[in-house]
Amino acid sequence: MTISEFFSDRLSRIILQAACILATAALLLLTGTQSGIIALLLITWLFIFLILQIFDYYKTRTRLEALSSIMDGLDEKYLFFECIPRAENIYEQKLFDLLRISAKSMIGAVSDARAAGQEYREYVERWVHEIKTPITAAQLICRNAGAETGHPAAKGQNIPGEIRRKLSCELSQIDAHVERALFYARAESPEKDFLIRQANLAEIAAEAIRAHQALLIQSGVRIETTGLEKTVYTDSKWVVFMLGQLLQNAARYRSDTPLVTLSADYAEHALSGDGTARIRYVQLTVSDKGIGVPAHELPRVFDRGFTGSNGRRLGGSTGMGLYLCKKLADALEIGLTASSQEGKGFCITMTFPAKEKLTKM
Amino acid sequence: MLKWTVYKTVEVLQAMQKIMIIEDDPTIRDELAMLLKNEGYHACTVTDFETIPLQAERARPDLTLLDLNLPGKDGLTLCAALRKIAPVIVVTSRNSTIDELLALHSGSDDYITKPYNIPVLLARIRAVLRRSENTAETENRTTDSLNVNGLSLSLTRGCASANGQTAELTRNELKILAHLMTHAGEIVSRTDLIETLWEQQIYIDDNTLSVNMTRLRSKLEGIGLPDLIKTRRGMGYQL
Repeated sequence: MTISEFFSDRLSRIILQAACILATAALLLLTGTQSGIIALLLITWLFIFLILQIFDYYKTRTRLEALSSIMDGLDEKYLFFECIPRAENIYEQKLFDLLRISAKSMIGAVSDARAAGQEYREYVERWVHEIKTPITAAQLICRNAGAETGHPAAKGQNIPGEIRRKLSCELSQIDAHVERALFYARAESPEKDFLIRQANLAEIAAEAIRAHQALLIQSGVRIETTGLEKTVYTDSKWVVFMLGQLLQNAARYRSDTPLVTLSADYAEHALSGDGTARIRYVQLTVSDKGIGVPAHELPRVFDRGFTGSNGRRLGGSTGMGLYLCKKLADALEIGLTASSQEGKGFCITMTFPAKEKLTKM
Repeated sequence: MLKWTVYKTVEVLQAMQKIMIIEDDPTIRDELAMLLKNEGYHACTVTDFETIPLQAERARPDLTLLDLNLPGKDGLTLCAALRKIAPVIVVTSRNSTIDELLALHSGSDDYITKPYNIPVLLARIRAVLRRSENTAETENRTTDSLNVNGLSLSLTRGCASANGQTAELTRNELKILAHLMTHAGEIVSRTDLIETLWEQQIYIDDNTLSVNMTRLRSKLEGIGLPDLIKTRRGMGYQL
């Protein structure tokens, strides 16, 4: 509270008091009191009045500062009323009571919304689990049906094999969509349940490729891997999902000769100013020789629901893949950067947190 | 009472590895058994969940696939008992962190979240089997060299020989020829070949396959076997 705020708040009161005292002074002057006495009276009154106002100002200011420092110290601002000190006067008391009623109903609404969100998230996870069992069964049936036609008796029947392959590709697409729903539910929840463990980047990459093998082969994608035999500390299941999104994008926005390169390298970063203590990060780069992203769209690729001109042209893009990647990467403290040259390719770099940094999580 | 479903195959039983499937969903159980059979394993399923350790004791599998969430069963105790008999791959039903932790502490050799991706599952099975010692010998015995139509392929040395001549093969050529030789007489489609290579982490495309195929053919011609690999138009290759 500034001084001008304080005085503007009390302006009417001050004018009234000044008018009263001036009227009294005029009356005294008319009834024959000496002007010196009146001047003395006025100066004394002004002095006491000023002292009182200054005292009042400081008291109000300290009170407000104390309250706002309580507010600053709170993570959940709506819990403010639980922490306010005792009211100093009736006016404050009434105000706090009103605040308390409002906050209570707010907390009720917040916890209801939270419970509803939690229930919905649990339902999505359960649903994903349930829907995946028939998908797995269908995939197994597909695979087995293919093996049966491979018998010598069924020689030359190449068409069932083709249908089986297409079916199994569609099934893995369904699986990928369902998986995205699951990770969406996870990424949006406040308590992100992941498990940081030592993991081999090569194994993570192999698992992600295997999961999307049908789509990648059908799209005619070639994959090159270099230097993946490195150890990272992260939740491998989440990273497999993220890599899967990148691979699906590479297959989707491919050029005539699709090539995806997965390569890992160490990047060093000085801990202190003199550069003696260094931290080594593992950086995984996933780059494709696809159609790329126009430069002006690049800053928005991680935005939720952003499909860009490529997505609009090809149709069927959801704009969720990279958004989810970013969300999950933020939770795992993986740095995610995108670069692209339109018509030449798209490249994502994932910087995994160093072992030394993990204690902060 | 014991109920057993044993899938017999034409191949030699003793070289095949036995995998026991403990799973309560009947569709998945039967299809999984068929999948493993097609992959060249000897699969057996359990339908009576009361006497699992006893059944495993009798069947003596090389590997057990165990669903941790069997109705009315404590998966962890079961896992510990089965682990004494053979390596165990645990299948967890829900893929939340708690389930993952549970699977990690179950003492199993590996775990996979259900529903599984089939290539991932097969890779995990192969990895666990390779790790357990007794399988190392069988693998050496069965897969050191392949012989078809006077062509002999040594997998460990990576070279093909016929008519007293030898040609050295690259990694891709070796894998392609090995797949054709193990399916001698059958038509192998290009997609089949690509899938086989992808499962061994060689991620090639159609053009690369053509290049490898041409080189492989010219090498085979060099050791006196021209036209060994026939092209079946619109269908694939045949040895």
